[in-house]
Amino acid sequence: MSADDRLVLEGLQVQAGSRHLVRGVGLTVRGGEVVGLVGPSGSGKTLTARALLGLVDFAPGVVAADLTLTCEGRDHRPYDPLPTRRTEREHAFREVRGALLGYLPQDAPGSLDPAQRVGRPIEAVAARAGQPGDARVWLERAGFSADEAPVVLQRFPHQLSGGMAQRVAIALALARGSRFLVADEPTTGLDAAVQRQLVHTFRRLADEGLGVLIVTHDLRWLAQVAHHVHILDQGTIAETLSASALRPEHATTEVGRRLLGAVGRMRSRGFP
Amino acid sequence: MTWLSAWWHLTWARGRWPQRAAALWLLLVLGAALLAPLGGYAVGADVDLTAASQGPSLAHWLGTDHLGRDVAWRLALACQAFVGPGLVAAVVAGVLGVLPAAVAGLVGGGVALGLRYLTAVVATLPRFVLVLLLLMIYGDSAPLLGAAIGLAYAPELSEAVYGRVEELRRADFLETSLAHGVSWWRLLFLHVLVGAAGGLVARHLLRAFAFTVVLESTLSYLGGFGVQEPWPSWGNMLVFEWGRGLGVAQIAPAAMLLFTVGACASVAGWAGGERHVR
Repeated sequence: MSADDRLVLEGLQVQAGSRHLVRGVGLTVRGGEVVGLVGPSGSGKTLTARALLGLVDFAPGVVAADLTLTCEGRDHRPYDPLPTRRTEREHAFREVRGALLGYLPQDAPGSLDPAQRVGRPIEAVAARAGQPGDARVWLERAGFSADEAPVVLQRFPHQLSGGMAQRVAIALALARGSRFLVADEPTTGLDAAVQRQLVHTFRRLADEGLGVLIVTHDLRWLAQVAHHVHILDQGTIAETLSASALRPEHATTEVGRRLLGAVGRMRSRGFP
Repeated sequence: MTWLSAWWHLTWARGRWPQRAAALWLLLVLGAALLAPLGGYAVGADVDLTAASQGPSLAHWLGTDHLGRDVAWRLALACQAFVGPGLVAAVVAGVLGVLPAAVAGLVGGGVALGLRYLTAVVATLPRFVLVLLLLMIYGDSAPLLGAAIGLAYAPELSEAVYGRVEELRRADFLETSLAHGVSWWRLLFLHVLVGAAGGLVARHLLRAFAFTVVLESTLSYLGGFGVQEPWPSWGNMLVFEWGRGLGVAQIAPAAMLLFTVGACASVAGWAGGERHVR
């Protein structure tokens, strides 16, 4: 991982039938940077994240996109040419998924293989990627202590709490050697203490050179971890703000003022 | 070994004593099928009218039938009649029912439609009738009996696997594995068929085995098909003692049938235990 790594998305368009769900979204994530993607429900945040991984599975789906992942001086462009069938898409994204781009889905416990102890897939993924095969290493990088890691890797997913499952999912992505991580609502179902831990984890991973794109509704949490934030509205990026400027008075669009104003009102009722 | 460890934790370690006893019973039946023929019991030369219809004793643990033949030995030897065909049936049902359905469930579209049409056509025939027809056309032998039962059972297994895989196709853990670069084939075999759907497949294959037990006993009970005298089958042992009073020689094969089919059902339910897949 290095600061020269770059994910550049331009002109993403996603359609479901004749409905335009994402219209010309573009963003850049550099190695070591945390970028947030926020917006009202239905604005196209998750679709954008899934399009980065080639997981948009309805017709016609992605109708235009220019995605470039630059790692170690080499460019990967899975949407060039634009795949029109699932087999083409799977082939195009084969090199990108895992090796370059990791995925942290919203339902972290559900994203783990229920029939395996959590250490096993981590070891298998690391071995296939030519990484150190000891699952404890990756669990510790994901935020478990040296005492917790040996215990956790022997557990099945249903034996983990939401926060533990989230960190195991991060360990899986790291074991794969991903240069970038796409996290979809990583704080869902987590208590404040675990959310705080996740802030430290993402900050540390960014300091190590990982590029992170976080899709979330939780602006207050995102402000603690992101470098800058894109606000999505009706399938387009309405505006972009740095994390230090996440206040209604800095927003230049109605949707930005509305979103940031809602956070402001909650803060004024005494929430920390 | 890691998969074995996982299976152990998710099945045996969670089982209650009736399920474990049922599993041991099935192992006993399997052992009897393999070892009883090596015991030197002379089928066909075992008639001893001086020892007819005796009760249990040290010489004959479960007594004798009305021809003086040892009931315990014949019960053990009768296990061969269905263990072989049962295993063949499980393999045939597995090959015909699991792999095509799993691929169809993952791929969807025209492949799935075609497979479901084919299984619906085969499933319209009652299983017993289909097996009888195949035996009448192609002759009566143990391997053919197993193959016919496997073919007759495949549609049910196929529908179950297709439904499960189609549900799992959208499961988060599959999508995450895909996003981590795991290939579709590895997903299908390791994560879906062995991992998440393995219990379902095991449950149905055990049911296919139980169906073989019942069907073989029925055929030999009715006569004309299945194992014929003097070779023992639980079915022909039952019919052979019919009308000669309710003795051990009649109760024992019925009890064996009941315990074995019940054990299959118990272990099938245990094998298909929850996987916590959401």
